Amino acid sequence: MSLLQTGIDALLALGLVWLAWRALACPDLFRGIVLFIAFGLLMALAWVRLEAPDVALAEAAIGAGLTGALLLAALARLNRIAPAGTRADTREAWRNAPALLLVLAGAGLGLAVLSLLPEPAGLQAQVAAELGRSGVSNPVTAVLLNFRGYDTLLEVLVLLLALLAAWSLEAEPPRREAAPGPVLDLLLRLLLPVLVLAAAYLLWAGAHAPGGAFQAGAVLGAAGVLALLAGWRLQPHLTGLPLRLAIVIGPGGFLLVAWALLLTGRPLLEYPPALAGALILLIETLATLSIAATLAVLFQGSRPAAEPPA
Amino acid sequence: MSPVLLPDLPWEALLILLPLTGAAAGALWPPAARAIGLLTTAGGLLLLAGLGTAVADAQTLRHAVGGWGAPLGIELRADALSLVFLTATALVGLGVAVYADSYFERSQARGFWPLWLFLLGALNALFLSADLFNLYVTLELMGLAAVALTAFSGGRAALSGAMRYLLATLLGSLVYLLGVALLYHATGTLDFSLLTQRLEAGPAARTALGLMGAGLALKTALFPFHFWLPPAHSSAPAPVSALLSALVVKASFYILVRLWLELFAPLSGLEGAGTGEVLGWLGMAAILWGSWQALRQPRVKLLVAYSTVAQIGYLFLAFPLLTAAGLPDPAAWRAVLWLVLAHALAKAAMFLAAGNLLRFGGHDRIPDLDCVAQRLPLTVAAFALAGISIAGLPPTGGFIGKWLLLEAALLQGRWDLVAVMLLGGLLAAGYVFKVVGHFFTPAAAGHAARPVPAAMEWTALTLAILALLLGLAPAWLLPWLDLAVGPGPAEAVP
Amino acid sequence: MSAAGFYALAGVALVVLGLYGLAVQAHLLRKLLAVNILGSGVFLVLVGLGGPADAGPDPVPHAMVITGIVVAVSATALGLVLMLKLTTTSGRPTLEDDAPREGPEA
Repeated sequence: MSLLQTGIDALLALGLVWLAWRALACPDLFRGIVLFIAFGLLMALAWVRLEAPDVALAEAAIGAGLTGALLLAALARLNRIAPAGTRADTREAWRNAPALLLVLAGAGLGLAVLSLLPEPAGLQAQVAAELGRSGVSNPVTAVLLNFRGYDTLLEVLVLLLALLAAWSLEAEPPRREAAPGPVLDLLLRLLLPVLVLAAAYLLWAGAHAPGGAFQAGAVLGAAGVLALLAGWRLQPHLTGLPLRLAIVIGPGGFLLVAWALLLTGRPLLEYPPALAGALILLIETLATLSIAATLAVLFQGSRPAAEPPA
Repeated sequence: MSPVLLPDLPWEALLILLPLTGAAAGALWPPAARAIGLLTTAGGLLLLAGLGTAVADAQTLRHAVGGWGAPLGIELRADALSLVFLTATALVGLGVAVYADSYFERSQARGFWPLWLFLLGALNALFLSADLFNLYVTLELMGLAAVALTAFSGGRAALSGAMRYLLATLLGSLVYLLGVALLYHATGTLDFSLLTQRLEAGPAARTALGLMGAGLALKTALFPFHFWLPPAHSSAPAPVSALLSALVVKASFYILVRLWLELFAPLSGLEGAGTGEVLGWLGMAAILWGSWQALRQPRVKLLVAYSTVAQIGYLFLAFPLLTAAGLPDPAAWRAVLWLVLAHALAKAAMFLAAGNLLRFGGHDRIPDLDCVAQRLPLTVAAFALAGISIAGLPPTGGFIGKWLLLEAALLQGRWDLVAVMLLGGLLAAGYVFKVVGHFFTPAAAGHAARPVPAAMEWTALTLAILALLLGLAPAWLLPWLDLAVGPGPAEAVP
Repeated sequence: MSAAGFYALAGVALVVLGLYGLAVQAHLLRKLLAVNILGSGVFLVLVGLGGPADAGPDPVPHAMVITGIVVAVSATALGLVLMLKLTTTSGRPTLEDDAPREGPEA
């Protein structure tokens, strides 16, 4: 490894810590969020340097992009609910008490990490050995959708749960904001097809190259967020069952695949090798739709208006 | 062991898939949510019976998800230890589901059922998982469902309690995950059995023990990490409080027990005994502090919530109790499993009874309870019976559990534990009878009363009676608990 | 020290920063930022420790981190909704007033 590369890595690592510190410490909340988004983008760079391009895509799209959008939207709503509440200079009384303790804990943790660095154990060999039977050639997708697909099933359910929880709280009535200018609308008409294509590419590529359902879903969700920003709303007749179907079909389809496999006498989520590739693509396509719909609806912050009376 | 009455089905997988599918279906079609919710909860009991028969035959069932097997894939595992927790979940879950059906208004109920089924699925998945990272995902699924249910009825106290709970539960899971990261890179596996073979004492194992112990203790609300529990458990809707106190805090405790019994305690050179002592001290502090606070609370639900803080303390008293070989004492752990079951049933009954009092009088201030003994006799009976079990008085399940634990402590000459247990029992009797006493007295100011549906009274009473029956059935149930602790490392010592 | 080592140690620093922010900041939005930063630190340790080794990077931690990122955004979304709802009812986006009371409530 060249000196230049070491320098870049050291700078990137320091930059991450510095940005995190500023995001947490700067007095203005808006700046804090912007710094947090910058932190997320720097994290994506760090993932690239760590040879984790799949994580880098997920971090940029979800960690920085959509989390940032959610934070900014929440801040805007907060401004309307409690204009004085966006000042963040209030601190708990015992501000300096835990600092020393934390530094000590951090030092202990650092030592433990250093002790593992020389020869960390991993599963590279096992993944490589079974990759041929997994139905895909991107090892990360193989782990996510096949070797540890059960984790992923639970994870798409976590996303669905978050949305149901948000709906059960009914944060506030839908916004009635001023119509966006023609510029945003035009921009959207140009960007939307690009984003949809990009999502489709990421979904397709995930089988053999960096990408996959989560990255694709996040990009498609970003398209939805842009559309919401431009003032587009779902037709009222689409906000009932059709919207719920879009949200549930990802986890629901995954569950149905699990049931079908179980009924054929296989263990939970064991794909027949010949069908593995096709099943993974099916699960990922449905998951992409649901992830996009869920993230966009979470961004909007409330149940779409025309929900049938419960 | 017992004749096979049921066909050979993948019970573990079904126990996880059924509630989660129900949750998704309920989200898709809200008008059916109630029917789906009640049916899947009841169906879980049948599946559990099937799993029980299978475990009785095979002792430990393993299910390789995806067909890969550890270390590449995730494995499910069912043994008697998981069965104890799954049983508590199924019984309390069914009782609470029937109760909730009458408790929530129709429009509210549609939102409740999917969230409850998510919680049920997450609990089942957690008790069946043998994979450290998979446990993290189930912890998060469970935590978010629990937070959502806490905030479910809205209201400032509930929202604030839920927010505090969310931050605590996220922090706990992430700290646990950091420990998982260290263990994974130290051993190259996330599977419990493989970790047991591969893990060696060293800075990584020691730090992982500290991190996972702290994260899980926070989620279990062990003193002094209990700060989030009373506001959340006392402000949630009554059926949710019952689920939180009876089941959700037990889930992180279950992981801690697994880690301790299978991984860390037998690891030579880790000074695991020191950690056990610390957990024991915190448990003792929790008993004294929680009971004392419960005694001082003016409201029934707060009192019951602080009683949970104290009862969690008892569960931690088994950590410092070791055999002569320095390994965990099976007798003490048998007592703890008994207490887990007894506390789950009794505490759920108490919270449901408290919910009835709230519904009846519109408040749960203890001094203002107005002759409820005559007006809500079933609820009063439920609260009193459950309270007797919580206080550890005979002939209840709580009595057997505490008696077994006391016996284990006496055999080892741990007089500090014995003293704290006896003192905690006195305080518990004090706070239970403080409430029960007010059941019979008229309040200074009478108030209007709302009717309480019979289903709400009967479910509370049924759970309380189950807690009582647990005390009458030790001969029948104790062999099961031997299974639960038997294959552990303690028995492996010649 | 390998490049991956820098990131693993940066991860430790982020964990400490996140814990500090969670303890010290009163504003709930800031507490949620702190949780996210804490999570990023854990993820960096998880992948950084595996590092680019001779056998190539280990894909299992990568998959775990992607799972973790999705869980984090779900939790953040729920946290933000809770914060907004709480602010609507109490007027302030903090928890400080109802700090855990150990004594009987007035």
